[in-house]
Amino acid sequence: MSSMNKNLTIKGYFSLILFGLAFSLISCQGGGTKEKSGKLNIVCTTGMIADAVTNLAGDHAEVSALMGPGVDPHLYKATQGDLARLTEADIIFYNGLHLEGKMADVFEKLARTKPTIAFSNGVNKERFLNNANFAESFDPHIWFDVSIWTEAAAYAATVLQEQDPEHAAEYQANADKLSREYNDLHQWVKDEIATIPQEGRVMVTAHDAFEYFGRAYEIEVRGLQGISTMSEYGLQDVTKLVDFIVERKIKAVFVESSVPRKSLEAVVEGCKARGHEVSIGGTLFSDAMGEANSPEGTYPGMVKANVNTIVNALR
Amino acid sequence: MNEFYTILTGSLVAISCSLLGSFLILRKMAMVGDAISHAVLPGIVIAYLLGETREMIPMLIGAAAFGVLTTVLIELFHKKARLQTDASIGITFTFLFALGIILISAFAGQVDLDQDCVLYGDIAMVPLDLWITDAGLNLGPRQVWILGVNLLVVLAFILIGYKGLFITTFHEEYAATVGIAAGFWHYSLMSTVSLTTVVSFESVGAILVVAFLVVPPATAYLLTEKLPVMLGLSALFGVISAILGNMLATWLDGSIAGAMTAVAGGLFLLTFLFSPKQGILMRLKFR
Repeated sequence: MSSMNKNLTIKGYFSLILFGLAFSLISCQGGGTKEKSGKLNIVCTTGMIADAVTNLAGDHAEVSALMGPGVDPHLYKATQGDLARLTEADIIFYNGLHLEGKMADVFEKLARTKPTIAFSNGVNKERFLNNANFAESFDPHIWFDVSIWTEAAAYAATVLQEQDPEHAAEYQANADKLSREYNDLHQWVKDEIATIPQEGRVMVTAHDAFEYFGRAYEIEVRGLQGISTMSEYGLQDVTKLVDFIVERKIKAVFVESSVPRKSLEAVVEGCKARGHEVSIGGTLFSDAMGEANSPEGTYPGMVKANVNTIVNALR
Repeated sequence: MNEFYTILTGSLVAISCSLLGSFLILRKMAMVGDAISHAVLPGIVIAYLLGETREMIPMLIGAAAFGVLTTVLIELFHKKARLQTDASIGITFTFLFALGIILISAFAGQVDLDQDCVLYGDIAMVPLDLWITDAGLNLGPRQVWILGVNLLVVLAFILIGYKGLFITTFHEEYAATVGIAAGFWHYSLMSTVSLTTVVSFESVGAILVVAFLVVPPATAYLLTEKLPVMLGLSALFGVISAILGNMLATWLDGSIAGAMTAVAGGLFLLTFLFSPKQGILMRLKFR
């Protein structure tokens, strides 16, 4: 083993890397050229955001969502194509409140070079739920309170007006229309949930995605897992939840489209062992919407599907 | 431009990891990277509890501290309790990971806190994470600079410490008799590994780092018995994996880290079959 040989090899690689670094420096100066083809190119993280923005923008923008149906935002990984879409986007909308995890750090930085807007920025901070007793750790699932989502969408409309002042009047009209639609939806959900008898108005789900829903529509919410779909649930969590279900004689529990159902099946089995029959009331859409071109593939459709599932199982 | 940065980032991680990984494999500690990826959890949780923030810098400090602690514990159990290194690695990281889980459920159950959402980066996001100076000068992705500096540290360490690393890797007992402190080289190597893995996790996520620590060095190991050649080949295989992996990811429109890891595995498989010395086919032919 000659040491000259070693030095040659390592020096060769060393110079290759220096070359690479130098090249990266030189070649990145020209970035940020934007071509205007008339239509705005808008990229959103979740389907819920994309649906609202599509309605606001009408014919003036191409809107796409990074996270498709059934994708858990906590586990989402960008593909090469997603990267290209983000690079070419004129405006990026994301949820904020840490729903997108570490990706949000990148978005915050991206905001220096192009309009990158958190939907949650348009919402009065006092409306956010914080169950954790830590500063700045808010529950991100704001779309389940339709009135909050209305506020966020109104904010998104002002962003569109700023970015494309030419069509400001149209964006305003679309915003007003969407706001009316969401207000009707909000009222409808309220009325539907109110038809469930008071003592049975409890929804048990796999992870704590429905706190906003519970607060807005006066239904008690119990989750097996914490906020994050990554955190493990303990034996004690299962036992506690089983006790609760048996004691309150709850008829049904719910699984979610973006969380595996096996966790809740343990709870159902546990209740059976205690002589209380609880059914799986159906699948709720939590962090992602249904398939595109299905009724659940839109935000109002998703909310309605959830409410129908809940009401049918608990009434 | 995006693809260039992706390949550059992948290559920087690949070279750092496969150079260090070569030494790890020869010391039978290949899975130390995987161990660190789990064992940093309590570091993250403690950093969060102290700082009440999920900002990157405190997370990195917490993770790096526990990365070093992991390697210290592994060595302690190996040397003092005379455990095999694999058992020692297994005990250390499961214990620390469990500690992290307990800390989360006891103090931070309602906070979205785990390696995936506060520490692990995504290589696909690197080209968007630009370092722009106050004067508005665009210096390219932040991670490329961090990983570049890290690679320089790794190269300097290996160049300066080559002799010590070589002797303590291959002739540990002889090193002791001539007065070379095996412990010093072990901890230096392991600290460099901790630094590299934690910094790389932050840029490209866990799977790619663990893969680059093991797979390219293992591939090179099949082709040579000379350490300098092994170092060069494993770095080369790492870079080839980054380039071909990026092409595969573009073609599939899939996960970039996944594609790079898959290519590295594919290269290993090819070498395993066709290597002139150790390859299965050659052995069958000359049996």
